[in-house]
Amino acid sequence: MIRIEGLAKRFAPARRGAAPVLAVQHVDLAAADGRICGLLGPNGAGKTTTLRLLAGLLAPDAGRLTVDGIDVVQQPRAALARMGLLGDARGLYPRLSARENIVYFAALQGLSREAAHARAEVLADALDLRHLLDRRTEGFSQGERVKTALARALVHDPANIVLDEPTNGLDVPATRALRETLRHLASPAGGAKCIVFSTHVMQEVERLCDHVVVIAQGRSVAQGSVAELLARTGRTQFEDAFVDLAFGSPGEAVR
Amino acid sequence: MSHAGVVATVFAKEVMDALRDRRTLLIVLLSSVLMGPLVLVALSALVGNLEERAERRELVVAGLAHGPTLVNYLQRQGFGVRAAPADYEAQLRRAALGDPVLVLQADFEAALRRGDAPVVEIVSDSANKRSEAGSARLQRLMAGFARERATLTLALRGIAPDLTEPLRVRERDLANPRVRGTQITGMLPFFVLMAVLYGALHAALDSTAGERERGSLEPLLGNPAPPWAIVLGKWAAVVAVAMAIAVLACFSFVPAQWLLRSDTLAALFQFGVREALVFVAVLAPFAAAISAVLMAVAIRCRSVKEAQASAGLVVLGASLLPLAGVFNLGEQAPWQLWVPALAQNTLMTRVLRGEGFDAAQALIPPLVCAVVAAAALAYVAARLRQAALR
Repeated sequence: MIRIEGLAKRFAPARRGAAPVLAVQHVDLAAADGRICGLLGPNGAGKTTTLRLLAGLLAPDAGRLTVDGIDVVQQPRAALARMGLLGDARGLYPRLSARENIVYFAALQGLSREAAHARAEVLADALDLRHLLDRRTEGFSQGERVKTALARALVHDPANIVLDEPTNGLDVPATRALRETLRHLASPAGGAKCIVFSTHVMQEVERLCDHVVVIAQGRSVAQGSVAELLARTGRTQFEDAFVDLAFGSPGEAVR
Repeated sequence: MSHAGVVATVFAKEVMDALRDRRTLLIVLLSSVLMGPLVLVALSALVGNLEERAERRELVVAGLAHGPTLVNYLQRQGFGVRAAPADYEAQLRRAALGDPVLVLQADFEAALRRGDAPVVEIVSDSANKRSEAGSARLQRLMAGFARERATLTLALRGIAPDLTEPLRVRERDLANPRVRGTQITGMLPFFVLMAVLYGALHAALDSTAGERERGSLEPLLGNPAPPWAIVLGKWAAVVAVAMAIAVLACFSFVPAQWLLRSDTLAALFQFGVREALVFVAVLAPFAAAISAVLMAVAIRCRSVKEAQASAGLVVLGASLLPLAGVFNLGEQAPWQLWVPALAQNTLMTRVLRGEGFDAAQALIPPLVCAVVAAAALAYVAARLRQAALR
């Protein structure tokens, strides 16, 4: 369960005298367990900053972030232990094998050696990584990298999963496989995880999300299921609905 | 997970990562660890060459035929005499000729008989170290010849030779052989300092700027581990790699002595396991400080390449500081103990001289290094989050 209320974050200007950058002005989000929540917005809307605030990498100027009721600002480490993060940066250690990359993060999450290796095996099967497991990540393709990074993020079997544009750079089969994985993780069989992911791709949201939060210019301008958003805007195409919500006049923005 | 557990986990991973970087390790090993012994062996070849020349007892004379009396004297002193080549000046300049040349004028013999004090020239090139070394010996021989001539002349006039020598000079050299040896082996501390520096350099840059460049710092901070524990683990790994290189560099001098060609140098340079261990003990605080400083410099940089440029400044500083000891030929100034790199250089020179440390020498340098390391690590820990994002 992830809850974001009234979140705001501004960055100091690059030059003295310039106006500060208002990256996030007011974002609200509620993501329930066993559901997939999409954070949809154009480039520069504040999606990555929102997710970095959620990961505790930045301190918010205002608002509240909680993960399973744990405040991210007050208890960052307890909150991180309940989240699996696949951020904007997903670098692997090239001289380490995929297994070593996964086991390293497992150890930092506090898993025992045996538990870490057991989890690596489970994730290798779930993410179709087995043939890569003992290869150094140096020559991995983009898709193989994302899979390894995802395995690394899920190593402690977190109840909440946060992904920043996870399908970036993936080809169609890899995207479909990732979609399948996320659907499985949200299902009762996969552990009914609470999944939040950001994207600017419409189809992904249409095909995957139970709940959508539209972000534009640092504000969450609408939320609901795809059907609800279509009904609200009176459109038949989700893309048209999105454009209305994200770029329409501010007065039309509805909650 | 306990904080000590985080430190240990990060340490183990970083050491494994550094050891897998075989090519870099090999270059560091070749350049740092082999450099010292190679220089030592080259030095010994040079000293051996000088000694050989001294033992050869051969003099080079231009105008050999002009001074039979002088040549006779030289031969009586046990020296062989050889005619100088016609272009001896050019040969001395380009160091093809390794001996100074004694030049006799055409009227040398006649002037000597008349008592006209003929001029003999000793020609050497001060840029040609080998010829320079032999000219002191020629000077002594000429003085001896002059004294003999004077004594003979006085004896012919019935004056006792003792009267011409109202005093005798005897030299006593206070330097013990090991101190004399440091004139030659004085650059060894510099080489091991550089070995530590280059040992730390790559690991420090890879674990900070490298982590940023790969985009693995942000995921790393997504783990519930405090940044200071991550930094401490990384730093411990960098120090471990640097110290491993330092240990190899120090102990490589022990077998290197067996290769010394010059017996004199071998006698002067006494570097056993005990000296190597003291070197390592002196270097450990320096490795701790320089690793932390390199990490602090590199965490500001987005890529390893950028970090290398910035680290160049640290490397330059650390290699110039020991030179202060070379320029300052007098007594060691107390402030030198407060300057990292220079202090370690001073202490290692004392080890080579066979001298011990007093309390200040044993305590101040590690203390300074500890403060520097702590400050640099605090800075890295404070910057880590910010560095992950940009």
